[in-house]
Amino acid sequence: MAEYFGVKVEDIFNTMQERFRPEGAQGVDASFGYDITGEGKWKLTVRDEKMTIEQTGDLSGCAVVTVTDGETFVGVNIGKVDGMSAFSSGKFKAEGDLGALGKTAKMFRKFVPLKKEMSIRDYLMDMFGTVASRFKAGAAEGVDVVFAFDLGGEYGGKWSVIIKDKTCRVIDRIEGKPTVKLEFMDAKDYVDFSLGKIDAQSLLAAGRAAVAGEINLALKWAEFFDKYVDPMGSGEKEQELLVLKKTISVEQRYATGPVMGKFLNGLKDKKIIGLKCSGCGKIMLPAVEVCADCRVRASEWVEVGPKGQVRYMEYVYYASPDPLTGETRETPYGMLNILLDGCKGNETFAHLVRRDQIDRIQNGWNEASGTRVRPVWSKNRTGSIHDIEYFEIDE
Amino acid sequence: MGKRVAICAVSQIKMDSDYWYMRFQNMLLPCLESIVEQTGVTFDLEKGIRDIITNSDDVFDARTISNNGVTDVVGAHFRGEEKMAQEGINGLGYAMASILSGHDDVILFMGHCKESQTENRLMNTNLAFDPFYTRPLGLDFLNASAFQAREYMKKSGVTDEHLAKVVVRSRKNAKKNPNAIESKQVTLKEVMKSPLLADPIRQLHQWPVTDWAFGMLLCCEERAKEFTDNPVWLTGFGNCMDSFFLGDKDLTSNFSLKKASERAYKMAGIKDPKRDFDVVELKDLFAYQLPMWAEGVGIVDENKGGEWIDGDGPDKQNVNLSGGMLSGSPLLLGGVARTIECVLQLRGEAGKRQVKGAKRAIAQGTYGAAGQHQAVVILEK
Repeated sequence: MAEYFGVKVEDIFNTMQERFRPEGAQGVDASFGYDITGEGKWKLTVRDEKMTIEQTGDLSGCAVVTVTDGETFVGVNIGKVDGMSAFSSGKFKAEGDLGALGKTAKMFRKFVPLKKEMSIRDYLMDMFGTVASRFKAGAAEGVDVVFAFDLGGEYGGKWSVIIKDKTCRVIDRIEGKPTVKLEFMDAKDYVDFSLGKIDAQSLLAAGRAAVAGEINLALKWAEFFDKYVDPMGSGEKEQELLVLKKTISVEQRYATGPVMGKFLNGLKDKKIIGLKCSGCGKIMLPAVEVCADCRVRASEWVEVGPKGQVRYMEYVYYASPDPLTGETRETPYGMLNILLDGCKGNETFAHLVRRDQIDRIQNGWNEASGTRVRPVWSKNRTGSIHDIEYFEIDE
Repeated sequence: MGKRVAICAVSQIKMDSDYWYMRFQNMLLPCLESIVEQTGVTFDLEKGIRDIITNSDDVFDARTISNNGVTDVVGAHFRGEEKMAQEGINGLGYAMASILSGHDDVILFMGHCKESQTENRLMNTNLAFDPFYTRPLGLDFLNASAFQAREYMKKSGVTDEHLAKVVVRSRKNAKKNPNAIESKQVTLKEVMKSPLLADPIRQLHQWPVTDWAFGMLLCCEERAKEFTDNPVWLTGFGNCMDSFFLGDKDLTSNFSLKKASERAYKMAGIKDPKRDFDVVELKDLFAYQLPMWAEGVGIVDENKGGEWIDGDGPDKQNVNLSGGMLSGSPLLLGGVARTIECVLQLRGEAGKRQVKGAKRAIAQGTYGAAGQHQAVVILEK
């Protein structure tokens, strides 16, 4: 199996059991399919806060099937690929209930790739192995030089980095007379120097390193090559990078004042009431104290709707979760801006549309009328925007 | 001294311990209407208000990103609005910078705070601490101030009786201030017997929970006459932010207040703070802060806070004739409330507490734990 970012696709699945968080799987009773192109298919089943994972050709009965390639799958899991951009570019697809897919995020601890220790020899191989890919051809116009490295000690060796005709190649020996030659008594010093752990000045002063040939050229190395990036990261142990969970909650009450209060009480009585500006006649909906355009208090209450026509509707596939519970509403769903009867222009009111009707909604635009809709009132009304469950087609 | 900035008008609603029947929009609107009525200012894009500074903090508004509800009621629709969540007195500094830099001639400055909406007032100031180390330990402005109070009182010879005197005097002054919400008269004994909240701070030593909103119109010197016959000049401003972690600073050094004062005095040409002010308003969230901030702004010698109270210093120097924070002002806006009190004094509109012929005043505001942030404004007639 291929490795992506040093991780195999099966590593992700094989560690699911140990990464499983029963507390994140409360109330989940579903199967989730994974179809990883060229790698295989896996089926995750979650029930009673327990899980099983199997590699299988049969993904029937899954609430949602994730279809993607190995690189994207691993990348998203280890945080090397941004999930949202993979999703919007189509590299990461989900067939079925997207809301269900969202739940899987809470069921598992993040996958952390195992880190292998790197020896001095590994580092040297990696450093010289990546020289060509770090070469900045644009900065080497007319440059014809050879950097030679003579690194001593147990793990040492000899390398030459040859720049000519805006190309760069590396050989594992020193030939003829290089333009500049860097000698390190101990290859470990060179590795530490390249990783920024030790500075050249002190190595030179201590006689542990020497430069021969065009010394100034040695200083120009950074102009020709991107900095070497330590594949082991900053050297921090993974366990020291903690993620702290914080939920901030302060008991507060919110005083609505008379205007907002009257509007919310109206909803309780199945009435939608707005305030009309005495200057420009605009209706503020929901009702607010002042007309922002005219900077005057609005005082004339008018009842509008409750039926109206759709001005704008949108399809939402990726829903914002509730900040406290993390629950997301089922997708896709439709958000509406409705021009309620008695309103004009942009005096629209925002709400939701009945989910099974979203494909039948027409937007109103200029002369064209939008689909006629009516509110479906909640049985238990408390003076909140949810006193209207949603709008449905008025037929 | 450079050019001056005019405060053309101030407005406010009465302070209240619980405006349960108003949301903040209802509190701000009358303040805006009063400014328009007093000055005749318009929102004309050539000659009127184009830039507004607003001051609020989510934590008091019982909703997140609460300042999105402010714009329409302060007339900022299609205008510039700078939103500030910091002790309101800094808005005067921003207004001053805006006008003196030539960015705009006229600035409307509006703010509100509803301390009443939180179940427990300590929850608000607990949130001011970092969420990992000190917030979980329960630090809030009350117990952080107690650290400071203990050390300061020792250093400056301030006793429990001195603090009681500060409270009794505040209540006495508050009687002459129709805007004060805490004017019930108390005796020294009552104060000294009130329960300890965090030693040495007692129940009666702290400012009362307050809801309040204000408005202010500022403009450049040349245009002041368009809006008022009685301008008050803002001639100095200085502020300073000390270390965030309580233990990283010397709690009794008054470092940030001294720096803030120094900057404001330099700008306004103040030579001797002990003599140069006719009116002084200090943000005494807790009783011990009255003598401590008085030392910080230099109207009292260092370490002489106790003697100052014994010698009736606060009365002789007209300090907090309004009753100060202890008679009411919300945490977020205490410095603005102090400034507005100074403006009323300089305009000769301070009623029964009026200082005759007051020419120059200083107002101080502080935010953060135990005076972390300090700001000072100098106002002149």
